[in-house]
Amino acid sequence: MKYVIIVSSVLAGCATVPGLEPDLPPVQPPETAPASRSENIAIAGLMENARADAAAGRLANAAAALERALRIEPRNPRLWQELARVRLKQGQYAQAESVAARSNSWAGSDNALRAENWRLIAEARTARGDAEGARAALDTAERIGR
Amino acid sequence: MLSRTQILRYLRLRYLGWAALGLAFAASVLTLYLDSRVRSEFEGRRFALPARIYARPLELHVGLRIPQPDVEQELRDLGYPDVAREGEAGWFARSGNELEIALRAFVFWDGPQPAKRLRVAFEGGAVTALRDAGGAELPLVRLEPLPIGGIYPANNEDRVLVRLAEVPQQFVQALIATEDRQFYSHKGFDPRALARAALSLASDKVQGGSTITQQLVKNFFLTPERTLQRKLTELMMAVLLELHYDKSEILETYLNEIYFGQDRDRAIHGVGLAAQFYFGKEVQHLTLAEAALLVGMVKGPAYYDPYRHPQRALERRNLVLRETREHGSITLEQYAAARAAELGVTRKPAMGTSPYPAFLRLVHRQMRRDYDEADLRSEGLRIFTTLDPRVQRAAESALIRRLAQFDKERRFGEPGLEGAVVVTDPQSGEVQALVGGRDVRYRGYNRAIDAARPVGSLLKPAIYLTALSEPSRYTLLTPIDDGPFVWKSRGAPDWEPSNYDKKFHGAVPLRVALAQSYNVATARLGTELGVERVLANVRRLGVERELQPFASALLGATDLSPLEVAQMYQTIASGGWRAPLRSIREVTTQEGRPLQRYPLAVEQAFAPEPMYLLTAAMQDVVREGTAQGLKNFLPPELAVAGKTGTTDEQRDAWFAGFTGDRLGVVWIGYDDNRAARLSGAAAALPVWGEMMAALAPEPLALAKPDRIELVWIDPQTGLRGSMSCAGALELPFVQGSAPEERATCSGALDAAVEAVDATVERAKSWLERLFGK
Repeated sequence: MKYVIIVSSVLAGCATVPGLEPDLPPVQPPETAPASRSENIAIAGLMENARADAAAGRLANAAAALERALRIEPRNPRLWQELARVRLKQGQYAQAESVAARSNSWAGSDNALRAENWRLIAEARTARGDAEGARAALDTAERIGR
Repeated sequence: MLSRTQILRYLRLRYLGWAALGLAFAASVLTLYLDSRVRSEFEGRRFALPARIYARPLELHVGLRIPQPDVEQELRDLGYPDVAREGEAGWFARSGNELEIALRAFVFWDGPQPAKRLRVAFEGGAVTALRDAGGAELPLVRLEPLPIGGIYPANNEDRVLVRLAEVPQQFVQALIATEDRQFYSHKGFDPRALARAALSLASDKVQGGSTITQQLVKNFFLTPERTLQRKLTELMMAVLLELHYDKSEILETYLNEIYFGQDRDRAIHGVGLAAQFYFGKEVQHLTLAEAALLVGMVKGPAYYDPYRHPQRALERRNLVLRETREHGSITLEQYAAARAAELGVTRKPAMGTSPYPAFLRLVHRQMRRDYDEADLRSEGLRIFTTLDPRVQRAAESALIRRLAQFDKERRFGEPGLEGAVVVTDPQSGEVQALVGGRDVRYRGYNRAIDAARPVGSLLKPAIYLTALSEPSRYTLLTPIDDGPFVWKSRGAPDWEPSNYDKKFHGAVPLRVALAQSYNVATARLGTELGVERVLANVRRLGVERELQPFASALLGATDLSPLEVAQMYQTIASGGWRAPLRSIREVTTQEGRPLQRYPLAVEQAFAPEPMYLLTAAMQDVVREGTAQGLKNFLPPELAVAGKTGTTDEQRDAWFAGFTGDRLGVVWIGYDDNRAARLSGAAAALPVWGEMMAALAPEPLALAKPDRIELVWIDPQTGLRGSMSCAGALELPFVQGSAPEERATCSGALDAAVEAVDATVERAKSWLERLFGK
């Protein structure tokens, strides 16, 4: 714990005043820590379960697996995106759109990911009968994706 | 001709006949009545099973930040002894910084998880390795969730149903040897036993007069009074029961019915729950000695309570073993080994209906929206909640300790100060801990949910948020006038707010007005913006209660419960994404069939830019403002954001704040609304700080929205400065809203430094693109 704090404060110190700080998925565990690689195993495993569940139509289980993963990495935009996909399949279009937007809020400069989120938003809007909104979302996706 | 005597005899006979007929009729009516009662009640009888409530399961994975002792505590709370019990599940063993855990099987919401062995290594307060028995790496393992109580039938009966086949043969043998040796041969009652019992009422023989069937009838259908009439009814019903049902059905029902004592207000019924309660194991794993102890308790669970009267319980157990040896089929070796065994009961602290009554109230309230109260109390639902026992413990002990200290220092007399704590996960809105008062096991008044108190300055962030949503009018640097101020409105008395220090501070930058919690500047700002607009934002933050549209509401003449405050601050802590606070994740039937999920739901309530600015200002509250005292508990690198609140005459002391991973709200005050003479910073903040320090929180690091830029400011002039200005601050601004004019301290050298900075920034973003972040 202390280690994490020290490292993050050092990182913060380089870039900005401590506290008003960095751009993106902040406070990554230090790369030397044995944690980072295996933590991904847990996430990867849950993501895999979620995809298998979703493919088999067990949508509630897929969502539950992603929520478990989000409890471990709440700032992982890919998890939020996957959850948006599941919400879309569940027919929860308002949540699908919200959750895709939440993914965008953590996506930083990952334009491919952001474009995909906008495509999901477009799908959700189409499903809700908001053709105009969907077109706008697709335009955004197009613009970012380029 | 009949003689007089003959006539008399005839009449007598006739009357006797009628009487006999009448008696026979009455007896058959009674029999029929009893028979129908026995059949309908026994057949229709389903044990009322309480809804069972679980904490969140602890999910172990490499990298999880949790100290080893906390995992051990969790396992002990689950009733796992810290000694290896080879061949069994449900224990752990420690060797240095490694734990070996034999996990029990558990049916989760999404399916069963079989029993498994694992090895967990710790270092520096985190999990560094997680492997199975064969040494293969495991990505993620859920521990069983801790049972934290139930929603019980009216008489607080608790039980875990078992099938006869699951109960060890030795248990059944011991039971029959002790309670009813003729069980398999008698017809509901045992005449010899009855006679014996009648003859030797005074002697302390093992066997009473009642058969197992009679005992069942007594517990099931009858009140405990001791009259001859009742005894006869019991006898008849026992015979009837035996007529309709076979021995195994009767025995199984008996095993689930028997009373095994009291856990505070919770009644332990059935051998399934007794095995869990006294030995922390499933019934099939009971040893002979353990079985004998439980059988011995049947006669008098309070008298033979192994916790309160260990010697008496031990002697009784050994007596049962002797009977079993004599009348059952255990070997001499088994007998000797069982006699030599310790009592072996777990050291688990008493739980009662729940150790966390305040949190349970929240769960119950949420469940009542979707379920029938009767079903909650009888259907054996399993409710998986969000409670984190670690966080709950930290919250309880910080509150208890601090309140005791304040009481001692101030000698305020009885009743003492009270308090409440709510802790949530800011991203998901899950409630991790809830404390409703200093007597944390008390089931009564729940201040976290039911006490609505004036929130004081806790509402101020809504005012500043409203202002910062208009970047062309307000930035963190905009001067706000903290000079004398009177607010006149029709239909309400003049309102003349004053500052905590009773002074006026002239024009102060907006961020300072919040950091120092200046009432006059804030009141002026709020009325400039419009009370209605500000209150609309309070609602958007998640406060559903109707708020009085008076200007004084701006300074917290508004009553909210700590839970409502937590909902409001959750939206701030997650950067404007409102998530309804939740205490339940999933509900299943008793068998584990999923009934319902309460999914994560988020909604963007505010644009990210004003939220980013507001949070930066709330970090200033902690760094240099009214919550500076937090540095005594937590390192400044955590960059905590928060707000203190103190009401008139210091009746209420509040602190609400958040780190990277947790949001906490603390309230301190008196139930009778006496002046506590404690400020939010002096009373609520230390509880918050002590609690969070025990939980090793993550630093608060905000995702900077695209349209936010960081600009160096010269604090002397409030103009655009540079790093070399004395005390220079780097503050966030919505693009285009930062001051244009340069301070004199930002000279040519600084321009060069800025150019270098810009190059570094470009290089950084180039690297980010290169490595995908």
